[in-house]
Amino acid sequence: FFQDCILKSYFSKHEVLSDSSFRDLLQDELSKFSCKLLPGDPNPQLTLSGLERHLIGEGSHRHLSSTIQLQIPPQSFPLQSCKLVMIERLPSGVFADPFELDHLLHHGAYAAIGVFGDTNLELPSVSSNRSAVEIHMNFKHNTSSGAMSELGIRIDLPLHARYAPLHESGYSEVAFGTPDLLVSCSMEGSSEKRSCLIVPSSDSNRLRTDVVVWKIPCGIMSYTNVVSVVTFATALVSTLVIVLPSVLYSKPR
Amino acid sequence: MTAKAPMNLRRLLIGSAVFRLALILYGEWQDAHMEVRYTDVDYLVFSDAASLMASGSSPYKRTTYRYSPLLAFLLLPNSVLHRSWGKFIFSASDLLVGYFIYKILKQRKVAEDLCLYSVMVWLLNPFTFTIGTRGNCEPIVCAMILWILICLMNGKIIQAAVWYGLVVHFRIYPIIYSLPIILVLNPRYIQLGNGMEASTRYNLWTAAKSMFSKERVLFGLVSGGIFFLCTGLFFHLYQWEFLNEALLYHLTRADPRHNFSVYFYHIYLQYGRQLSLVEKLISFLPQSIVQLVLISTFAQDLPFCFFLQTVAFVAFNKVITAQYFVWFFCLLPLILPWSDMKLKWEGLGCVGLWMGAQLHWLLWGYLLEFKGQNVFLQLWMASLVFLLANASVMAVFIRLQRFSPIFLQIKVSDSKSGVKSQ
Repeated sequence: FFQDCILKSYFSKHEVLSDSSFRDLLQDELSKFSCKLLPGDPNPQLTLSGLERHLIGEGSHRHLSSTIQLQIPPQSFPLQSCKLVMIERLPSGVFADPFELDHLLHHGAYAAIGVFGDTNLELPSVSSNRSAVEIHMNFKHNTSSGAMSELGIRIDLPLHARYAPLHESGYSEVAFGTPDLLVSCSMEGSSEKRSCLIVPSSDSNRLRTDVVVWKIPCGIMSYTNVVSVVTFATALVSTLVIVLPSVLYSKPR
Repeated sequence: MTAKAPMNLRRLLIGSAVFRLALILYGEWQDAHMEVRYTDVDYLVFSDAASLMASGSSPYKRTTYRYSPLLAFLLLPNSVLHRSWGKFIFSASDLLVGYFIYKILKQRKVAEDLCLYSVMVWLLNPFTFTIGTRGNCEPIVCAMILWILICLMNGKIIQAAVWYGLVVHFRIYPIIYSLPIILVLNPRYIQLGNGMEASTRYNLWTAAKSMFSKERVLFGLVSGGIFFLCTGLFFHLYQWEFLNEALLYHLTRADPRHNFSVYFYHIYLQYGRQLSLVEKLISFLPQSIVQLVLISTFAQDLPFCFFLQTVAFVAFNKVITAQYFVWFFCLLPLILPWSDMKLKWEGLGCVGLWMGAQLHWLLWGYLLEFKGQNVFLQLWMASLVFLLANASVMAVFIRLQRFSPIFLQIKVSDSKSGVKSQ
């Protein structure tokens, strides 16, 4: 269940990330899975009760922290084995470093994590396309209490700012949307008795507290001429500082 | 390497080797236990490229690998023996540079204690021992440049040419040394075989014979041949990926991200805009003028010429990263014995000015990158100050350097092959 990478499938068909075509693909992919109510259980299903988002850190290198609150219904079996898939479609202007994510994977933080789309680490925003990160995480949940239980899962994604397009204010604002979330839980050791939850970005959007915005410093266009003139003037002065002593240098016969 | 190295140099080299080994081991510990790695990001790039090569793929499948395939080849044991193999190679090259510095100065008849102090300027420089142990490949380039100098000083033109072709393939920037080397291979100073007969006649024919002397033509052909052979071989193996990443990228690089270069903000503000031919030429002009003036004035004192050219090349470049500084740090010990600069206060003043300008830039860089403050203007001004500091330090060096050509003029009466090193 949710073994395949949805983003890999998306980027095998599309070159550039587009929200509308991604939503279409997500619907197609998920229609293959049917999330049935477990037999014998009345109402309760897995629900998303809260989504907190924070941007942690300062400067060009930060962490996007997502705390996902799940309500898990009680089951007749003691232990549930669950899988969470989070798809974070990054806005233009920020990127995730694939090598850094590999490092996280080797440290056992996640079952799988990958970034797709434009993963160039060097180009500025104006020359880059968007990218997206898919995270797969496994967790176990004890359901023997007999009541609805709350579970909070925190995911930290390290991100970096690209060089932003020029703006007179000196700062470029990058706003984050909400992730697409897929959760599936089943009895430990069996995949038959399964409950699942699908919360696309448009739905999780309603649950978030604040809009996360990253203010990235950027160049100011009105300085262009002054900067160019003074740069070349300084280069010229430096040239003279070197050339004059060289020309006046006296070599012994 | 014929004479037995004296006791003090041996102790210096052994001590430096032990210290570098300790740093490599410490680096392994820091990488495993701390958030911030000791190892340079570039080293991970080289290692990944080497593993790709080991599995039969192109090293250029690794993004940001922009070096010769030779480097990945050198690091193949990283995946077979130990991941720190490369660091050992780079640190060993760094020690070799120390040995070469001693060898060159001894051949130029510098006193023993001055030789050792000069070697210490390289081996004990914190910049030097961190760069190799962190996994940066520049010490290999430095060792090759110094070996080329040794070959030239000993009249081994073909050997010098082979290594020169290789080093230009490896790193490209040493191309700036081509003109001074050609100039120094003046038949009045260095001749192969029986050399030219002395002639009192000076006409167009003798001038042409002198300009296109056997030595110069040989050097040009052999080094050019090696360069094109390497380029051709790797193009055959890796196609356009090799040409684009290892060669063309460096020639056309214009990174808008902040770095020490005075041009970074200009490039960022103009990014995406098509520059006119005049604008493109203007940015090349200061670099070209400085290089030509330095070469025409100092070519005969080859180590000093190399040193000044390298400082200028780095300072006027469109992109400057800290690893480029090693390119001239390895040449600095070769010129100190002929400098009239006193440590107090000219020497310390130069060090203070250069380091101070760098630290000033780093402070603004930290505020921009790690605190997210818009200090682009201040950072750009700090880079202007850094360029002026580099130029001023160069001016002081020029003013206080005793000109010492590496070759003396061959006397007309010498009939045998003549290389008379000074």
